[in-house]
Amino acid sequence: MEKALIALAAALAVGLPAIATAWAQSRIGAAGAGTLAEKPELTGTIIILVAIPETMVILGFVVAAMILMMF
Amino acid sequence: MIVRMAKVEILGPKEQLMAVLELLRGRGAFQPDPGLMQAAAHGAETLTRGLVLSATEIRERLFFENLQTRIRSLLTMLPDLPLAAAALQPLPVVDVFDELVDRHLEEAEQHQVRLEELRLEEAGLSRDLVFWETLEPMLADLPEESDLEFFGITIHDARHLEGIRALLQERLYGQCRVSVATTPDGALVGLVATSRQMAEQLRMVMTDERIPELSLPEDLAGRSIPDRILALRHRLLDCQVAREQAEHSLESLARRWLPSYRQVLAWLEERLALYRATATAYETRQCFVVEGWMAASEVETLRADLSAQFAGQVVLEQLEILNEELEQVPVVLHNPGYFAPFEVFSSLLPLPKYTSYDPTPFIGLFFPVLFGMILGDIGYGFILLCLSFGLARGLKGHPLISNLGKVLGAAAVYTLLFGVLFGELFGDLGERWFNLHPLWIDRMHALAPMIIFSISVGVAHVLFGLVLGIWTDLRRQRGREALLKFLSMVLTLLTILLLVAWLVPDSWLAVRPLLGGILLLLPLLVVIGGLLAPLELLKTFGNIVSYVRIMAIGLCSVLLAVVANRLGGATGDILAGLLVAGVLHAFNLLLGVFAPTVHSLRLHYVEFFSKFLDLGGRRFEPLNRDRP
Repeated sequence: MEKALIALAAALAVGLPAIATAWAQSRIGAAGAGTLAEKPELTGTIIILVAIPETMVILGFVVAAMILMMF
Repeated sequence: MIVRMAKVEILGPKEQLMAVLELLRGRGAFQPDPGLMQAAAHGAETLTRGLVLSATEIRERLFFENLQTRIRSLLTMLPDLPLAAAALQPLPVVDVFDELVDRHLEEAEQHQVRLEELRLEEAGLSRDLVFWETLEPMLADLPEESDLEFFGITIHDARHLEGIRALLQERLYGQCRVSVATTPDGALVGLVATSRQMAEQLRMVMTDERIPELSLPEDLAGRSIPDRILALRHRLLDCQVAREQAEHSLESLARRWLPSYRQVLAWLEERLALYRATATAYETRQCFVVEGWMAASEVETLRADLSAQFAGQVVLEQLEILNEELEQVPVVLHNPGYFAPFEVFSSLLPLPKYTSYDPTPFIGLFFPVLFGMILGDIGYGFILLCLSFGLARGLKGHPLISNLGKVLGAAAVYTLLFGVLFGELFGDLGERWFNLHPLWIDRMHALAPMIIFSISVGVAHVLFGLVLGIWTDLRRQRGREALLKFLSMVLTLLTILLLVAWLVPDSWLAVRPLLGGILLLLPLLVVIGGLLAPLELLKTFGNIVSYVRIMAIGLCSVLLAVVANRLGGATGDILAGLLVAGVLHAFNLLLGVFAPTVHSLRLHYVEFFSKFLDLGGRRFEPLNRDRP
């Protein structure tokens, strides 16, 4: 039971930020696509902007890894 | 690197101004900045004033502008033929062209109007011909003497066909027949047949219901359909011949005059650009003065050129750049050798200010290392190295791709290096086939050491950024900002050491003095930086933790490679296994190029550069022939 709870905690730690990241990236991606239609020279900048919310899921992943390692 | 700039003043007799500006445009090394003179004159009694053109010069400028507009109009009407440049000196013949251009404009306009009419007529005739040729087979079986009259209609939408048919049947009491055919280009045309008595009524119905009848030239309307088609063909042929004649006349005009007009236009544009450049000059009673910016390394050469060309009458003087002018100094980046290709990435950012740093060398130094840390695989590194050679050597004609190839080459070298340290060759294939072991960290299993390593990289990178920020602030005499950054740096270091002391109780680090140091410095930070200063400190911690992505993305890459190997092995067949593993490794490699690039750049742009880089510099835009 305890193992299951730890696994659930780890899954939530990475899963919820993943949903948040996906939502943020969808918004940035849509706005970025609109921007690129008018200014294709901003491609590089838009790619970087889309990558910014990935911090959330990466930190979630780290927390999940720590939960699994520490308990 | 940011090229060192010089503030210069060019001074000479007023009558030499145009010649000096022409020389400066030719050299493309000087950016005039009238704002400098304005600032110097502000509030002071000076003998200089903005240069005003004389009445003759204004007349000449207006004349040139007018001529330029007319020549441009003429060139838009003439066909754009690739003709050799004319051997013509425009200045002596500019008056002749002023008279000629009106005549040629009129002639070209006449040809253009005629051409437009002929093209319209040709398009209409072609359309009619296609329709009638499509309808012709339907009439082939009719007796020559028939009491029937025929109308052609166009049907824009096949869904309306039944409606039209029902309507005509109803309004003509069933005394008509609608046949339909499709033209070669897919359009739908109909032939309505009715008796001569009902023809007038049919015409009225078609007008009332806005059913589009195929129009015909009036003189063809009364003819039989085969006659109509024949006449249409003749007329179309005549039309094509007339159009070709008009095009030929226009082309003859272009062949004779286009090179000369192009030459005159280029000369006019150059001349008018010089007139526009005079707006940046100031004048005294006898002299002109132009102030501006140029690369410090080119000052002596330009001075010598001016002196030689104007027999010492025009002088160039280098002025001291004042502190308040530093923000206005235009910026030009120049990176030699290894660093040059990395300008591809620094160009994604706005230009740095003149007093700040060029981000290119930092990207050149750290980007390949971070990329290698993330991807870290001997097999992938080798493939990327080969790919980079191919891109850099094979596509020299495409500077962007060639530069990206060179950047990829540097990143591939570090990928190989970290691949050796992590003991990875296509994931765990090296271990299974060649008994390859990590020299340093086993990324797949040692998660905690990798997290600590990634965060350590973050600490080093971010603190280096803070040190550069302190140095920049000290150079700009912004003591308070420098102190704030210094305190942030010390507090960050103390907090990290405190964390280490707490996590490793056996270490020589003591918790109490570290905690005391933090509690002592934190109020000082608030006093100097305000209530938001601790938030900035928190942001710094966030920046450092963000480097954990080095471990996270790297681990994903390793796991994908391992999955590729295991799935390949699970097929139980060598060929199928190679295919499955090959496809998955190719996919992983694609991700392995994209993800480390984006995340390494992000670590630079967001985490590192935010600590010291002042963006928003002004681009160096010298007078040159490419800039009208």
